[in-house]
Amino acid sequence: MSRSTMFSRSLAAALLAAALCAAPELALAQKRGGTLVQITQPEPPTLASYLSTSGPIGQVTAKVYDGLLEYGFDMKPQPSLAESWTVSPDGKTVTFTLRRDVKFHDGKPFTSADVQFTIMEALKKVHPRGINTFKEVTAVETPNAQTAIFKLANAAPYMMAALSGFESPMIPKHIYGTGDIRSHESANKPVGTGPFKFVEWRRGELVRLDRNPDYWRSGQPYLDRIVVRFNPDSATRTALLERGDAHVAGFGAVPYNDVKRLAALPSIEVTTKGYEMISPVVEVLFNTKRPPFDNVKVRQAVSYAVNRKFAIANIWFGFGKPATGAISSNFKASGLYTDDVRNYNVPNAVEMANKLLDEAGFPRKADGTRFEIVHDITPYGEEWQRFGEAVQQQLAQVGIKATLRYEDVPTWLKRTYTDYDFFLTSNFLYNLADPVLGVHRAFHSALIKQGTVFVNGSRWSSPQTDELMNKAALEPDAVKRGALYAQLQKLTAEAAPIVWVQELLFPTVLNRRYKDVIVSPLGIYGPFNRAWLDN
Amino acid sequence: MAIGPRTLLYVLRRLAQAVPIILSIVLLNFLLLQLAPGDAATVLAGEAGGAPPEYMALLRERFGLDRPMHVQLLLYLKNVLTLDLGYSFRNSMPVIELILGRLGPTLLLMGATLLVSVFGGVLLGLLAATAVNTWRDRAISVAAVIAYATPLFWIGLMLILLFSIKLEWLPTTGMEDVVAFNEGWTRVVDIARHLILPTITLSLFYMALYTRMMRAAMLDQRGMDYVVTARSKGLAEHLITRRHVLRNAVLPVVTMAGVQVGSLLGGSVVVESVFAWPGLGQLAFQSLFARDFNLLLGIFFLSACLVVAVNLVVDLVYLALDPRITVG
Amino acid sequence: MPQSFWRRFVRNRPAVFGLAFLVFVVLLSLGAPLLFPGDPFSIVGKTFLPPFADYLFGTDSLGRDIAAGIAHGGRTSLMVGLVATFFAVSVGTLLGALAGFYRGWIDDALMRFTEFFQTIPTFLFAIVLVAIMTPSRGSIILAISVISWPPIARLVRGEFMAMREREFVQAAVCLGMTDLAIIFRQILPNVLSPIIVAGSLMVATAILIEAALAFLGLGDANAMSWGFMIGAGRSFLRDAWWLCAIPGIAILLTVLSINLLGEGINDALNPRLRTL
Repeated sequence: MSRSTMFSRSLAAALLAAALCAAPELALAQKRGGTLVQITQPEPPTLASYLSTSGPIGQVTAKVYDGLLEYGFDMKPQPSLAESWTVSPDGKTVTFTLRRDVKFHDGKPFTSADVQFTIMEALKKVHPRGINTFKEVTAVETPNAQTAIFKLANAAPYMMAALSGFESPMIPKHIYGTGDIRSHESANKPVGTGPFKFVEWRRGELVRLDRNPDYWRSGQPYLDRIVVRFNPDSATRTALLERGDAHVAGFGAVPYNDVKRLAALPSIEVTTKGYEMISPVVEVLFNTKRPPFDNVKVRQAVSYAVNRKFAIANIWFGFGKPATGAISSNFKASGLYTDDVRNYNVPNAVEMANKLLDEAGFPRKADGTRFEIVHDITPYGEEWQRFGEAVQQQLAQVGIKATLRYEDVPTWLKRTYTDYDFFLTSNFLYNLADPVLGVHRAFHSALIKQGTVFVNGSRWSSPQTDELMNKAALEPDAVKRGALYAQLQKLTAEAAPIVWVQELLFPTVLNRRYKDVIVSPLGIYGPFNRAWLDN
Repeated sequence: MAIGPRTLLYVLRRLAQAVPIILSIVLLNFLLLQLAPGDAATVLAGEAGGAPPEYMALLRERFGLDRPMHVQLLLYLKNVLTLDLGYSFRNSMPVIELILGRLGPTLLLMGATLLVSVFGGVLLGLLAATAVNTWRDRAISVAAVIAYATPLFWIGLMLILLFSIKLEWLPTTGMEDVVAFNEGWTRVVDIARHLILPTITLSLFYMALYTRMMRAAMLDQRGMDYVVTARSKGLAEHLITRRHVLRNAVLPVVTMAGVQVGSLLGGSVVVESVFAWPGLGQLAFQSLFARDFNLLLGIFFLSACLVVAVNLVVDLVYLALDPRITVG
Repeated sequence: MPQSFWRRFVRNRPAVFGLAFLVFVVLLSLGAPLLFPGDPFSIVGKTFLPPFADYLFGTDSLGRDIAAGIAHGGRTSLMVGLVATFFAVSVGTLLGALAGFYRGWIDDALMRFTEFFQTIPTFLFAIVLVAIMTPSRGSIILAISVISWPPIARLVRGEFMAMREREFVQAAVCLGMTDLAIIFRQILPNVLSPIIVAGSLMVATAILIEAALAFLGLGDANAMSWGFMIGAGRSFLRDAWWLCAIPGIAILLTVLSINLLGEGINDALNPRLRTL
């Protein structure tokens, strides 16, 4: 039995065990008490999640701030700070009825005025994704303290997927309403309504969050304290988990090869659940305005040449699934995904690549090469270096000579998204909770914005796909939306402005003594109110 | 060494030079950093996983990046003169607070390392030189080269695997226990225990240098005329060593120790990373990749002050060690 | 003169070993294309094959031949190590000698110049320089040279400050020797020891800084080097120990050889200084 098969089987067993542990009906009675140590990498620069969506920030703030809604693994919204809500038939009015008797950590009550302030003055103005998510919201009416009515210029079905405490935290007007929200003195001292209160941040070491005794879910949270720990070196992060000095680590904090070793320990379990609302997809980006990548056949050839299985097995150690296109298979449940597109992950891929390159007019010269390019390696860590090196070898096989180039993050961002001075580079993009939020930006013509990062860097677009995306954004009917996105996936897979390599699986490493930690598709971006320590 | 008027004048002259020197260093650092491509707004947007152009413009305006460079530079110089090191927009905190918060752990680690490596290095160098070409000398010399040539991350990780994972004698990483939140004396002991492995790791590196340097310098001195004279006078070997040779041989060690102290504020990026020690090295490292120039320049400014001060002190120590050296 | 130098040198067995090993490494690097033809970056077999089996030193995480990496990598690593050290030592010695000998305003000016380079923490300085110049073998060598010369300058200056007060120097002045002659023919040979120690250790630092830069993704991605191999193997330290150990041992033996060689040269040049 191969190592990968054996590993997949034990992974499946671990997942089953995790699922059983997560199912509340089968859970043992929760016990009060205990400190959970979470590893977050890298250390967040601030804790102002209303101002920045830098990845690690949410891992801390989602426990301090609540959102209007929560989400289950079926991706359907559930009540959180909003007890109930109604959407008007035309989709332009959304009425939220807020929970009563909810207090902020400083004792002041949470009301609709806070919702209005958060949406209109904070998220709509200064939140990197909020600017787009709430673009259609023209006003938030507050007829009374318990009701918040969102008025929209156009229907925005995707907005309902983005109201978690992680994505759109409800912040107190009485604190952030005074002063400049962009450089507020309480930026790093969050005050929210969540299950844990911010106590202190020792820079370079930890953030301490203590239990909120007045949390609106009585009896919860079960834990006394959460300590978020920062540890820059990956090998020692693994050591901490091994020794039981840390209990939760996700988002690639543990190197993939170490995850396999940790999974074998009796004290550890590994799960890949908890990233369904993020859905990262690894891609290789073409500069479609630069020859030879302005030729669709050349792009398709490269898409065939990139060996997805090799990358998943040897660089990400099994944590991935070959991608078929821009939209992740996590959206299968909501009917927005299809795999009925051109398949680049076939056994005779190298042959297909060679054929296409010949057809495109790039025959092999005497030394075996067809043409030369420079491949920029994404500077986000070691797996990306190995991936770049592997791609170089795979391109060499089909006659493309690729010289590799390394730079640090700011240099690479500038080169790719400002100067457009590249041939080929790799990247990974989050699909987020809805394709409108994460997928459109990759190939919509309106998102060819020089100087803006992680949008349409390949500068490919077509009026056809633009129209499909515009329609899908406004379409309230799920089935019709599905059909529109199916067309979109077909067309973009054919045009191949991007090579979609794999759907990344981030493993979360957990200490078995802590139960009910990953209980929603937001995973570590959840409030951890149900987590408990089984001593 | 008499602290005569010439020495005092020398010190005053150096101190007077210090202010324009430090300012020019700050200026040059500022210009140097401007050459690095990319800016803080791009990095923040990148970490945000992407941001609309309105957000980028907002950030640039907030950070003052949209102002012409000479304006930015003049503003910065003015602030430095009033010891206002600015605001780190990325961290939403004043630079001076960020630095002061990490200064203590840095001084602790680097100070401990300095003590251990200088004393250990001088001692081992002595032991090697007084038994030159015997197995003791060879063993120490080879061990020193091995310690110096082995990557720090490997040494650190091996020590952690042995003493923390296998033997469970010492804590893994960090400066203190993150669950107990100790106070008072327990906290001091806890921090001391956490200090052991990172200090050993970093000290091995510097100790190796001092050992080799001390040994070479001692061997040089022992061949010198004054030693031959002392020996022919019938003075005991160990007295020759202690009274004469040591004092002269230690000069290069003092120079290198001065260089080490000058680089104190830079910490050790690798050791701080492996041991999750909250020092200035890691802070500077992260701010470089985030192009958080306010923070970086603040650290460089303090470092410049330290380097200028330490070089002056080392020059004064030379005067004490070797009376023939004069000022200027 | 040269004859007695050689006679003294070959009597020092460790030094001879050092020289021999160094010659071996140089020959290996030059002969790499013949011994291991092809691109050392190419994927040749299964990943993580242990050493002393199908492949002499095994394969790495992508399936590349480690022995080919060692042979081809020697060239870059030696170049980085030796060239950067040579520049750093030359510049540092020159500036330190001038500052320590002349004192006065020359010393002040040169030392203030040195202080600028001492301010920025060395590793960060290397990263800044490489980031500005974009990573390549040349920029890495330049960056490492720039960060390495200040300690040498300070060292040499201190030694010169002490030496210039000695009787033999004062005698040379009386004899009417030119300044340059005194610096290079009288004082410099007597201060070689610390320079040789610092210089030979610096080769190790240079190669290891290159490794750290490679690990951060700031190395020259198209040049195989021992530093690159250590960086690539760092995450697999506990499972595939040979990925880091083998290039690490190569670096260690090279540095040891240079050390022994340096010491042998020093002993052979100044026999009187080293005897009891």
